[in-house]
Formats: sequence, C-alpha cells, structure tokens
Amino acid sequence: MAAVANMPVSDLLKSFKLKTKQQELLIRVSILCLVYILAFITRLFSVLRYESMIHEFDPYFNYRTTLYLTQNGFYDFWNWFDYESWYPLGRIVGGTLYPGLMVTAALIYRILHFLRFAVHIREVCVLTAPFFASNTTLVAYFFGKEIWDTGAGLVAAILIAVCPGYISRSVAGSYDNEGVAIFALLFTFYLFVKAVNTGSLAWSLASAFGYFYMVSAWGGYVFIINLIPLYVLVLLITGRYSMRLYVAYNCMYVLGMLLAMQIRFVGFQHVQSGEHMAAMGVFFLMQVFYFLDWVKHMLSDTKLFQAFLRITVTCAVAVGTIALGLGMLSGYISPWTGRFYSLLDPTYAKDHIPIIASVSEHQPTAWSSFMFDFHILLFLFPAGLYFCFKRLSDATIFIVMYGLTSMYFAGVMVRLILVATPAVCLISAIAVSATVKNLTVLLRSKNKGVQTGSTKGSSSSKASSKALLDQSQPFQKNGAIALLFGAFYLLSKYATHCTWVTSEAYSSPSIVLAARGAHGSRVIFDDYREAYFWLRQNTPPDAKVMSWWDYGYQITAMGNRTVIVDNNTWNNTHIATVGRAMSSYEDEAIEIMRSLDVDYVLVVFGGVTGYSSDDINKFLWMVRIGGGVFPVIKEPDYLVNGEYRVDKGAAPKMLNCLMYKLCYYRFGEMLTEYGKPPGYDRARGVEIGNKDIKLEHLEEAFTTSNWIVRIYKVKPPNNRW
Amino acid sequence: MGNFFIPSLISFFLLLSKAESESESELIADLFALQSESKSGVIHLDDRAVARFLTSPKTPRPYSLLIFFDAVQLRNKPDLRLRQLSQEFALVASSFIANHNSTNPKLFFCDIEFRESQSSFSLFGVVSLPSIYLVGRTTKSLKDDSERMVQGDFTRFTDSLVDFIESRTKLTVGPIHHPPIISRAQTGIILGFLLIWSPFAAKKMLSGETMLHNPRIWLSGAIFIYFFSVSGTMHTVIRKMPMFLMDREDPERLIFFYRGTGMQLGLEGFAAGFLYTIVGLLLAFVTHLLVYVKDPKAQRVAMLFSIFVSFWAVRQVIFLDNWKTGYAIHGFWPSSWN
Repeated sequence: MAAVANMPVSDLLKSFKLKTKQQELLIRVSILCLVYILAFITRLFSVLRYESMIHEFDPYFNYRTTLYLTQNGFYDFWNWFDYESWYPLGRIVGGTLYPGLMVTAALIYRILHFLRFAVHIREVCVLTAPFFASNTTLVAYFFGKEIWDTGAGLVAAILIAVCPGYISRSVAGSYDNEGVAIFALLFTFYLFVKAVNTGSLAWSLASAFGYFYMVSAWGGYVFIINLIPLYVLVLLITGRYSMRLYVAYNCMYVLGMLLAMQIRFVGFQHVQSGEHMAAMGVFFLMQVFYFLDWVKHMLSDTKLFQAFLRITVTCAVAVGTIALGLGMLSGYISPWTGRFYSLLDPTYAKDHIPIIASVSEHQPTAWSSFMFDFHILLFLFPAGLYFCFKRLSDATIFIVMYGLTSMYFAGVMVRLILVATPAVCLISAIAVSATVKNLTVLLRSKNKGVQTGSTKGSSSSKASSKALLDQSQPFQKNGAIALLFGAFYLLSKYATHCTWVTSEAYSSPSIVLAARGAHGSRVIFDDYREAYFWLRQNTPPDAKVMSWWDYGYQITAMGNRTVIVDNNTWNNTHIATVGRAMSSYEDEAIEIMRSLDVDYVLVVFGGVTGYSSDDINKFLWMVRIGGGVFPVIKEPDYLVNGEYRVDKGAAPKMLNCLMYKLCYYRFGEMLTEYGKPPGYDRARGVEIGNKDIKLEHLEEAFTTSNWIVRIYKVKPPNNRW
Repeated sequence: MGNFFIPSLISFFLLLSKAESESESELIADLFALQSESKSGVIHLDDRAVARFLTSPKTPRPYSLLIFFDAVQLRNKPDLRLRQLSQEFALVASSFIANHNSTNPKLFFCDIEFRESQSSFSLFGVVSLPSIYLVGRTTKSLKDDSERMVQGDFTRFTDSLVDFIESRTKLTVGPIHHPPIISRAQTGIILGFLLIWSPFAAKKMLSGETMLHNPRIWLSGAIFIYFFSVSGTMHTVIRKMPMFLMDREDPERLIFFYRGTGMQLGLEGFAAGFLYTIVGLLLAFVTHLLVYVKDPKAQRVAMLFSIFVSFWAVRQVIFLDNWKTGYAIHGFWPSSWN
C-alpha cells in the first residue's frame, strides 16, 4: 500500500504507457467505433425530419409480413396464403418472397424482448437498415485489410459509412431487402476472398453460409453466383490456379448451392435455370483442371501429356456444350429471365417488357447520377484500379473484377449503383490510403533520414525511391505537407457532400411529402396516410380496392383492405386488366370492375399540390402495359402528334377515359393558383381540357385534404325496374 | 408540210392508244418483274412509273400499291428515322412476298424518293415524312382517296404496318421473317472453330504465354470499362440518344449538353467520363511513374501540370453538374471563389 502511495505520479503514468503497437490498436478500434456510430446516426435524418415510419412502397409489404411473422410464428408465416392481395387470385407469400429480412428483424425483436426492451416491431423495422449499414462498415474494414492493409480498411470503412450510393437505400425507415443484402453481399465476398487467400475449409464454409444468408435476403444473389465463377475463370486463364482456389470455390459452391435450395422461392434454380449455369460450368472446369494437374504430376513425358491434354479438353468442351444444349432444348434448364437478360442486352427490356421499363429505378444511369452518388470516389476509382494492378494478387484481382462488373451494371440501371458502392469505396480507399501513406512515409523518413543517414523503415519501394531524391529536393517536405492537407480537405468535402445529400435527397419517406412554403417554411402533405386510414375506418372489411399497382402494398398494409394488384408484379395480365380499366371509357371500365368485384377505386392526383409522380403522369405506362395484353388499347389514341396532353388540345379518348375522369372530377371548379383560371393543373402547368365531368357508375367517396388521393365508390347496379 | 404532219400525229395517237390499251396482265407482269429484280421486293417508283401504274390505268386497277415516301437528303435526321423505317418496310415487304409466294394477292410494296419524283409527291399531297399511302384498287384521286397511315403508328412500326395492311386490304401478312443475327451455317462454323481452337488455347494458357497474362492489357480494359460506365454510354445505347442535337432555331449551332437530370447526350457523357477518368489516371501517373524520372525540374513541371489539370477537370465537372441538375454539388473550394 505504502509503496504504491509513495510511487510518483509519473511512474504510474509510465506503467500505463502503451507501446506503439498498442497505441495503434487503440486508435484503430476507436476509429472503428466512431465510424460504426457515424454510419448509424447519419441515416437518422429521416426520423428527425419526419417521424419513425416505414418508407415508400415495398417496405410496407416487408413490414406487413414481419408483423405477421412476429404475431403468428415462423410456420404460419411460411405457409401463409394471403387472400388480401391479387384478388381474386391471392398470393402464396411464403413461396414468393426472400424471408431473410423479415426473419432478421423478427430475431432482433425477439432478442430485444428477451433482454426486456419492450420496443414495437415497427421501430425494429425502421432501424434495421441503419444497423446493418453499421455492420457493413466493419466488413468493409476487414475486407480492405484483406486486400491491401489496415489503413485501406479504415479508409474504406469511413468512405462506405457515409457514401450516398449506399445511404440512398439504407436510411432509417427504408425497410427493404437491400438494407441487409448489401451487408450480406460484402460479407460473402470478404469470406470468399479470405478463403481463397488462406485455402482454409473453415473460411469457405463461412462464405457458403454468408451466401445462404444473401440468397435468403435478396434476388441480387445472382450477381454473386455469377461474379465468383467469373473471377475463378479469370484466375484460371491468367494461370493463377492454385489448391487454395480449388478448395475455396468447390466448398463454397457445393454447400452454398445446397443451402440456397432451402429457400422456397429459389428452389431448384441452381441446377435448372440458365442464370446459374455459369457457376456449374466453372465447377466442372475446376475438376478438369485438377484432374489435368494430377495427370501432369503422374506423367513425366511432356509430349504424352500434351496429346492427352488436347483430347481431354476437346472432349470436355464438347460434352459441356452438348449437355447445355440438350438441357436447354428439353426445357430442363430454363432460359434467362427477363430481368437478367435486360442486364446483358440492355435494350431488351425497353422493347419487350414495359413492366420493367416503367419502374423509375430501372432507368439507365446518366453521368450526373454517378457524380451525385460517388463524388470524389469517382475520381479516385481509376487511380485505385491502377494501384491494384501494380500490386496484383488474388484479392486485388477480385476487387477489381467486382468493381468493374458492378460499375457496368450501375450504368445499365440506376438502382444497381447500390451494388457498385462497396467496390467503389474499397478501390478508392486503396487509392487514398496508398497516397496518404506514401506522403506520410516521406515526411517521417526525411526526419529520420537526416538523423541516421539512411532509412529503410518504409516498406513501400516508391517511398524509398522518393526518399533517395530527398537531397535534391529541398521543398519536398513542404510539398508533401501541402498535398496531405489537400487530401484531407478533399475528404472533408466528401463528408460535407454526403451529409448534405443524405439530408436533402435521400431522407424523404415519399409517403409523407414535404414542400417549401411561400415563406420558406416546411409544408407537410400527409394525404396518403389520411386516405389509407379512411379506408380502414370507413369501408367494409372485405372491400376490394382497385388502384394502380404502385399503391397496392400500402393499401393492404395501412388500409388493411384487399387489392387487385400490388407491387409484386408477378401477373402481367392482371395488371394489364387494371391498366385497361383505367384507360377505357367509364361504361367499358365498369364491366371490368364488376368482373373483378371492385368496390372502391383509388387514384393519386397531384394537380392541386403540384406533386408530379401522380397517376396522370404514370398513365401512359398503364396504357402501354394494358395495350401489351389487350390490343384494343392503343397508345396513339391518347396522344396528339406523339405528344401527351391533358389540356384542351388533348386526344378525345384521353379526355374521357376513366383515369382522367377520376382525377379531374370536380377539379374544373377549383381555383388552384392565383391569377390562373379554375381547373389549372399545377403538376402539368396547364388548364385542363374537360371541366364538366359527370360520373355515371361511380361516386366520389373521399378526397384527402390536398386532393392527393381520391377514392371513388363503385355504385351497385340499378334496380331492374 | 401537211403531209409530214399528219403521219406523225397519227403515230402519236397510235402510241397513246397503245399506252392506254396496255393490258392489265402486262402491267401486273411488269410489276412482278420489278419486284423480283429488287432484293427486298420493294419496287422503286419514279414519276414515269407512277404515271404508268397509277394515273393512267382505269379504275378499278387489278392491284393495289403500298407506297413508302422517302427522301435521301433527310435520311440522316435522327428524329425522322427514315433509314430505320425503310429497312423495316423492306422487311415487311419481303416477309409478305415470302408468305404469299403461291397465292399472290397483288399487293405491291413500293417506295418513292423525293429528289427524283417531286411531282408524284405533289400528286399525293405529301408534305411531311415519314408517310405511307395505300393506293387501293378503286382509288381514283391519289390525293383524296388513297389511305394514309396515321402518324402516331410509326412508333412500333413493324407491328403497326402489319395492322395497317391487314385492316385496309383484308389480307393477312403472316409471320415477319426477321433475319437471324448469325445464320445456321455460321454458328456451325463458329462452333467447329471453337472446338478445334480450344485445346491449343488451353495449352497456351497452361504454359502462360497468352495476351491474357499481360496485366497491361487487363488494366487498359479495366479503365475502358470504367470510362464506358461512368460516361453513361449504356444510357445512350438504351435510349438511343444522339451524340448531339441540332438547335431548332439556328441549325448551324450544335447542342452538346442537355439540361435536366435523367437525360444526357452521347458526347456530353463522353466529356464527363473523360474528366472523371483523367484525374485518377494523373494521380496514378504521379505516384507510380513520375518518381522514376531523374530530373527534378521535369518532375516538378509534370507535377504542377497534373495538379493544374486535375483542378481544371474537377472544377469543370462541378460546374457542369450544377448547371445540368440544378443541385449545388459541393465543390472542392469555398463557394465564394466561384
């Protein structure tokens, strides 16, 4: 006691003093903790601005199924037949969804309740995506560490924590598959690269389970099952075949495939669908390679081996082609699905599948979107590529391939920027980290160089070659300091940009709309929820609501009413029927609606508020999709000289179709903007062409306070006498 | 004098009556001959042919003609799509002929070019292109009686042309024979070639002496893919965007940049992609190649040059993006410097 008390304070401090290694570890861990928290809180803008709620369209379905899962248990969820959607067909929910997200959220919910945190399932759902984004930063760190060094890993974690391309799909409230899937994707890749680097069965087993989680979470797993074989193929043809690769790929493929078959929605696709055949082909190719290696080992004569090689390769290729051809012809192997095909031949969807082409996130990407989502990463990416090529290894080849393929796909579809984001962050992190490292090594080695004469402390050959030039360059140190400051300035600008984008562009729930008032104040339009709660309170529980498919999930989740079509666009004919009803005259439409037992029709209208993504602007797609199945509907009938108009010059068919009537009913009496005539549509900026609308078979049931949602009741048939 | 005049007059009348009495079967035979001469089965008409086949014979004519109005000088105007439409027209024509090889329903596909047959254009009253007219058997006045295909139908041309023909002539066109991208024989040859080539390739690959083992090639490919993606080339391909637009008011001026998000022109994308790429490449150049240069002065000059170019490129991108999207992207310097 006395000895300790007498010990001078400086000695006490000294005994706590950490070694350099420990210091580094401490700094690293604290950075990672901060990044973990940062990734979480930057995604909370939406909760602060609005409230804790589920966003957009698809998440409502996920929320509804998660609710069902927590209330009724897993087996009921798995066998759930949902008769509230796709009336009169219904939907087998368990067999047509990726359950990963729901199961994850339910599990978190159970754990929290076990720990006596009495949270509502909605809060869990809202915060699932930010939580997984935080986990992704950790994975990015380890991945960066695996392919380059710890510095690159740290930078990658920081970059991905705030990168807008990822935030766009993982803000609080966007409870969608992508939220957990990007984590699963990166995790699978990390484990696979680790497995290739170590050749260990344990890691490849882990990557198979990572793959299983990915398959259970998102349809984008097809990207993994094609990228990994492609990577293996590239390694094979560049002569980088190794036993490590053999172990990693075979274990991952076989186990991953078997596990993936447990997901009902995926089923036997791994052995039957054309999208998965590349993986199988590469699997067999691996066996051929291994076999050849073995024969080469056994045969000492090279000439003999070459002859043998020729025969085996020819036979293998021929057998493979014949098997594939037979499989395709007999229909055992299904050809590629439309969505996949549209990635390879991007013009395909535009010409053949309007239902894919109509979704705004399936549009091809313009250059400005890249800038918006990546900012400086876009400039750093080529540099990072170059750095990777300068230090080629199995791991860097993987990240380069991942980066390039996902970049290509991001160019084809806007939403796939999401898949490219982790790769872009990692490759850019390599560029940043390597540059900064070179600069700092330069600074420090110079100091040492003066003292000791020569330094070989730096591992990087470039840095030492720079150090050799020191004597000739007196300003080099200052230059390096300036460049370092420049780099930090750029990175801080990146952070500013990301935060700004998150708060301005990506945090809107799109179910509650916000606009700036005349005095700069925020005006909130909560019409959607108003309408859905009206439906829930005022309509009979078995009422069937017809609307365009965009609103289907929301109506079933919030209004608790049966819908005809919803966002799971599995039955094109059914959607086309609704499209046909919307684009026909009222007396033709009523026949269709009666045949579908429709009680209410819901339309979304932005003419009063100037909300531009309403049904009038989506109407041409209804016509196109309807016309794709029912040739009575012809697009030119709704256009005037190829132009889409709603004012006086509009096509007569347009002015009298059901959608037009329902949107503009009683609108002709309304004054929307000062100095404009009554019936001035603020979304299109024109005065409407048909102000005197009479409805015969429908009656207005409810219109929300800002007219955004209008609900009509289908009148019962007239008495016969 | 008179003696001289009369015989020539007589011969003139003879000629005329001969032309008039040119029998229906001869005209049809000529049309078939012309049709078989052309590769796609589209008969090329000029003013004389129009007079011979359309204006002079008495109605009802024994045949009907479907005429595509074309203009060579307008072919490179992208919004008219004349070249593409004429190809699809030829495709429908050849499919129709192939489908009706034995029955021959006497519907002929023709085209007329503006430069060489201006009077025929005025005969039909064609003022805008693309235009397609069907001259039926009973059509008397070409201007008023012949049926015109509606302008809006040119969006999905092949299908709507088939619809047009079937609704007006009561004939069925039958399946359209799209030419295969590679023919059956070619696929066979390619497959055979691959089969023979694969063992040699495998041998080379195992010994590691192909182009594929050269990282430089991979690197340039990688940079290319990057450039290809970020410049929005897929957008240009999918949307069939032109490289640049002509200014409507001033045809001499070209528009390279399109204002508004979600749309872009081809060259605009390449310019932006180039700016994106060059900064990263300069960084790689400075850190990996410049250090090998012995002369410190050259090093400094190159360094300053690349800093300047990077600065310029970034500035340009920020400026363009602000201009295009209206979003004030955060630049890399204080906003008061702009």
